This record gives sequence, structure tokens and C-alpha cells, in this order.
Amino acid sequence: MTPNGAIAFGLLVIAAAVVARDVMSLAVILAILLTFALASRRSILPALLWSAGIVLPLAAFMALVWVGIVGRAPHEIAAGAEGSRAAAVAYAALVCLRLFAIAFAIQALFLHFAGWTPLAFVRALTAPPIAKKLLVLTLSLIETILHAIDRARTALIAGGIITRRFSWRNLRHGWLLVQTVWLTVVVIAIGRTRDKWPIEGTLARLDGTLHAAAPRLAIADLAWGAAGLACLIAAIGLR
Amino acid sequence: MFTTPRLVAIALCAALNFAVGNVVYLVKLPIYLDSIGTILCALLLFPDRMAAICCAFIAGFIGVILSGLVINPFLPWFTFSVLAIVLVSALLTANATDTFRAQPLQPLPFFGKVVIYGIITGIVSAIISAPVVVYLFGGVTGSGSAFVVAFFLKTGERLLEATLYAGLTTEPVDKTLQVLVAALLYRATPREFIAMLRPAQPAT
Repeated sequence: MTPNGAIAFGLLVIAAAVVARDVMSLAVILAILLTFALASRRSILPALLWSAGIVLPLAAFMALVWVGIVGRAPHEIAAGAEGSRAAAVAYAALVCLRLFAIAFAIQALFLHFAGWTPLAFVRALTAPPIAKKLLVLTLSLIETILHAIDRARTALIAGGIITRRFSWRNLRHGWLLVQTVWLTVVVIAIGRTRDKWPIEGTLARLDGTLHAAAPRLAIADLAWGAAGLACLIAAIGLR
Repeated sequence: MFTTPRLVAIALCAALNFAVGNVVYLVKLPIYLDSIGTILCALLLFPDRMAAICCAFIAGFIGVILSGLVINPFLPWFTFSVLAIVLVSALLTANATDTFRAQPLQPLPFFGKVVIYGIITGIVSAIISAPVVVYLFGGVTGSGSAFVVAFFLKTGERLLEATLYAGLTTEPVDKTLQVLVAALLYRATPREFIAMLRPAQPAT
């Protein structure tokens, strides 16, 4: 499977999950997603747990608000009906199932490319070169920012300006950490743009790497694309 | 429009959105702070408004896509909110760049403009986000604002109105904080970096 096909499949399935109006449609979508995840031949348990971990806090809030406080579903409020907690439960369950399908779709895509580096993934994408270059630069600068956060935090703790644990001092001087990190990465960016990259020809090399020909779609992409389309049609048809 | 320093600025601001937004999300603060880089990008590229709009939107879009892939899969649904924040930042907030960089800092105009532009950004963002929050999340996003939604629903408001009112009470506070941090970072940015982002002047 290619990244292009995976993204197309993911978008179709997510669109289907958003369009779906009942549990039956969402069950069909989840079944196809499970098959897709299993086709990666990797353990799908972490993906399921991650998706559940994202949705469970939302489910708790929804249960509290819709079932505990409001006690009726939105369509009942709109109709001015007295409503019931059972309808509120059904509504919250449907929204949570839809959110779970969206979260799991992304995790299932990750499973198929678990052995790939971000650069290899971006390189294989069919996208404008400038978009690919921006993605790679952003990923590189995220690493730079995370390193800068580590260094600045350590320096400010060593200087006694902030502490390791939550404290009023952190609240008062936390801004210094943000400012230090920003100045560090800006100075690094100036150095790279003005001196390092032109001398090393980094951007020209990056252009060459990202322009390398890659297959646009594979047979598996078409098969999974058809499955994603079937999900969307089923979700629209069952409305 | 997309010179190398501007590409770096976009990537830097997208990375800032990702890093700060994720730290806030992971420590479960009741605010978002995931558009600081977007607002900052618009400030950095002002007075070239078209470049400010394009570059800030790209920075915001990359930020929500990366955060959506790694941390919160529902963020990309707020792409139109990103666009709204960009438009307000490039067309309104960026007018205060002189005040934001004034030496010495003039507290009254500085904080006055931060609050005014923050509230406007928050109101616009709340209006654009409300339909997404209603349709995708059923009005409840897992933050403290869920209780505000519940309060308005209990008073008989419909879901869209309740979500909109809840957004209008919480978003201005969050966006004012974001404009404040963006303005302070803009103030701290070296003059040299801002000069690199200006369009190349033709030789005379």
C-alpha cells in the first residue's frame, strides 16, 4: 500500500463516519477499519487502546452532561418534548462511536506505515514539492523545539528560576521558559537559513530527495479505496 | 511569496503550534493555546497582508494536521476556525505591530490592544467553531466548557445556541491569552529575523 492510497482510504472512511447517522452504519465502518488494521499484520491492540483512551474522557463528559445534567437528547430539546435519559444515552453512544471510528482510522493508517520514517512517508506522497518541503522542515523544527525546551528547562532549573514540580515560582517565571525556547529556535533558524544550509546545499539536496519518483497508487490502494467508498455509500444510504 | 526564510518561519510557527498545543493538551489545562504560532506568523509577515494570510494559514493548517495525527485526531475539523483566526490576525491584530514592539513597553496601549484583539479573535473563533462542536462532538468537547453548555441546555436553549454561548464565554479568554503570548514572542523576536522575512527588494 502507498501513502497516497492510505490517505485516500482514511479520508473516505472518516467522511463515512461523519455522515453516518445510526449504529448500524458505524458498525459496518468499524468492521472495515478492523479488517484494514488486521491487514497490516501488526498487533492492533495498542491502536484500539489509544483510540479508546482518546474517546473515554469525552464519553465521560458526554454521559455527565447529556445523561446526568440535561437528561434528554438534542432532537427532543429541539422538538420541545419532555424526553428521556435513554434517548440521551443513545445519542451520547452514537457520538462516541463516531469519534472512536475517526480516531481508530488514523491509528489503523499508522499501523500500515509503522516501519517507515517520516521522511520516507512524505517522500512517497503525491503532493506539491513545496508542501512536502514544508512538512519535512516542520518535523525537523519540532525536534529542535523539543530539544530547546529540554535545554532551557534544565538551565532555568539549575539557575533556580523555575522548579521541577508545580510551584508559584513556575507560574511567575514560566514565561521566561517560553521566551528562552523561542529565542533559541529563532537563532538556530537564522543560523541554518543564512549560513549552514547554503554552504551544505541542504535545501537543494532535500529537493532532490523529495522529487524522487514514487508509485502513485498500488493494486491494494484500489481495493481499499473501493472498500472506503463502499463505507461512504453505505453510510449515506442508511441515513 | 514563499522565500526560504518565509518557509522557515511557517515551519517554525507550525512547530510552535504543535509543541505548545500538545503540552497544554497533555497537562489537561482548560485552555487550548494551539494558535499562538498562527497569530505570531501573521505578525511576523505584516505589512505584506497577503503573505501574512497565506503563510499563517499554512502554518496553522500544518499544525492542526500534525497534532491531529499524533495527539488529538479531532483537531483538523477546526481548520475553518484556523482560517478565521488567520484573517482576524492579519487584518486586525497585525495593525498593532508597532505598539507590540515599542521601546520601552507602553503597558496601557499594549495590553489594551491585546485584550481588544483577543476578544475579537475569540468571538469570531467561537462562531466558526460552534457548528463543528455541535455536529462532531454533540456539543461536549471534554473541556470545562462542557458544563457551560450543560447550563445553557438546562435553561432550555437549543444545542447550537448553547454551544455558541458557551464558546462566547470561554473562547475570548483563551484567545486573549494567545494574542498576549504571540505579542510578547513577537516583541522578543530579533529584528534580524523579521528583516529576513521582508520581500526581496529589486536592485536599483
